[in-house]
Amino acid sequence: MVVDSGRTTKIEVKDLTKRFGNLVVLDKINFHVAEGEFLAIVGPTGCGKTTFLNCLSKLIPTSGGDIFIDGDVANPRKHNISFVFQEPTCMPWRTVRQNVAYGMEVKKFPREKLNQKLESILKLVGLTDTADLYPNQVSASMMQRIAVARAFAVNPDLLLMDEPYGQLDVKLRFYLEDELIKLWKTLKSTVIFVTHNIEEAVYVAERILVLSNKPTGIKAEVQVDLPHPRSMIDPEFVTIRKQVTELIRWW
Amino acid sequence: MDTQSVANEVIKSTREKQAFSIIALIRNEYFLYLVSSAAFVLLWHWVAKEQILGKSLATPYDVVKELGRLMTIKLAGKNLFGHAWASTQRILIGFSLAAVVAIPLGLFMALNRTVNAIVKPVFDLFKPMPPIAWISIAILWFGIGEPSKVFIIVIGTFVPCLLNSYNGIRLIEPELYDVIRSLGGNRRHEILQVSFPAAFPAIFAGLQISLSIAWTCVLAAELVSARSGLGWIIVQGMKLTKPELVIGGMLIIALVAWLTTLLVSGLERVLCPWKRHIEGL
Repeated sequence: MVVDSGRTTKIEVKDLTKRFGNLVVLDKINFHVAEGEFLAIVGPTGCGKTTFLNCLSKLIPTSGGDIFIDGDVANPRKHNISFVFQEPTCMPWRTVRQNVAYGMEVKKFPREKLNQKLESILKLVGLTDTADLYPNQVSASMMQRIAVARAFAVNPDLLLMDEPYGQLDVKLRFYLEDELIKLWKTLKSTVIFVTHNIEEAVYVAERILVLSNKPTGIKAEVQVDLPHPRSMIDPEFVTIRKQVTELIRWW
Repeated sequence: MDTQSVANEVIKSTREKQAFSIIALIRNEYFLYLVSSAAFVLLWHWVAKEQILGKSLATPYDVVKELGRLMTIKLAGKNLFGHAWASTQRILIGFSLAAVVAIPLGLFMALNRTVNAIVKPVFDLFKPMPPIAWISIAILWFGIGEPSKVFIIVIGTFVPCLLNSYNGIRLIEPELYDVIRSLGGNRRHEILQVSFPAAFPAIFAGLQISLSIAWTCVLAAELVSARSGLGWIIVQGMKLTKPELVIGGMLIIALVAWLTTLLVSGLERVLCPWKRHIEGL
């Protein structure tokens, strides 16, 4: 399938529904993501963003509908799905290098390819000099970068990110968002980035989906046709940010 | 391209060099260790010399002299090292037997509900029983030889070994399993890559607790019936009214117990390198 911009559809979500008893959290969500696209999903607090991601990653079963990767029903054993969680999820017993390599080990990358990829990713995110330290010797922001590097290393069909930088200070967050853009551009992965921070979404994404309150559906879609690196004081940036804020406001 | 990112923050510590001064010396922890130990020995010497507790306390010098004598002469066919080794040997056998069974059992209980449901009721029944309470029944079952002493140690060390390996797995952050599942890993990956390594520190904490309990158990068993061991030396001291022999035995127990603890800590450092101490934190 080819979408209007001429890019191939990589991910297709059809009628995705999730109920917990009588509570409908996700209500027939439909959207698609193009190959190599950076899609941000924003929504009000408590709208079910994490449930949404857990369904997309197949960590929890859906109540209806499904997610398709290249036309097949998504399956973590078959497809390369990577997930960067809100909390840092480094394994304390593995060094930085071993943590970044972990996903590739599960995916059974051949040794030579693994080492090659590992070195290039470590270099790309600037972790080469600290590669032999353990997570308890590095800062919280570095742990999150290790998780991001681990997620990109497996050449994911789909990379899901759940507010990965939500707990970091503003300055570091912009720095890491730039780093994320660099990784995405270099490795050409398909990314779904969930956040409640509108500015962050406009800063990184090519397209933004705005979610409604529960039962959650897609309220609007906003294209962000601005070149990277973006400036937050650029009038166009401000216009898009205001547009998304208006769409999301619940006050 | 840079190999070092400006966002890298690494935990390190450096110690500032201070010029020598009386205040710095008084605050130095090693100096304070020395002062407190010396003060204790002097107080002990004074209390013994003045016979404040009657004749039942030997001076530190008498104790050291007695220990020196025990190294050269033989009591019941063994010198001091022989007796210390007799106790240590019992501990190593009992402790190893308990660890080899209890640690895997605790891990299985935490990983498998069926195993947990089968073992837990029996374990909960035995858990609160103090190991010393088993001495009489152990002698009835195994006689006064080595097996009864080893049995008491196994009983005493089994509980903390099992509880710690069980809790080591139960307390793992569930997100770590999510990482493996989202990457398409299977149950084997979860167990080998997360459950086991995450439980290691708790298992070692259990081994340390077990070891101190093992010393209590072996002493109790040797006080009741033995022909060798440090507990037996203490009993001899009591029977012969020789406080220096009793206190000497107690000191050697402290020393050997401390050495066995060091052994387990050393093993932990080798097997859990990520727990390494960051100096100054």
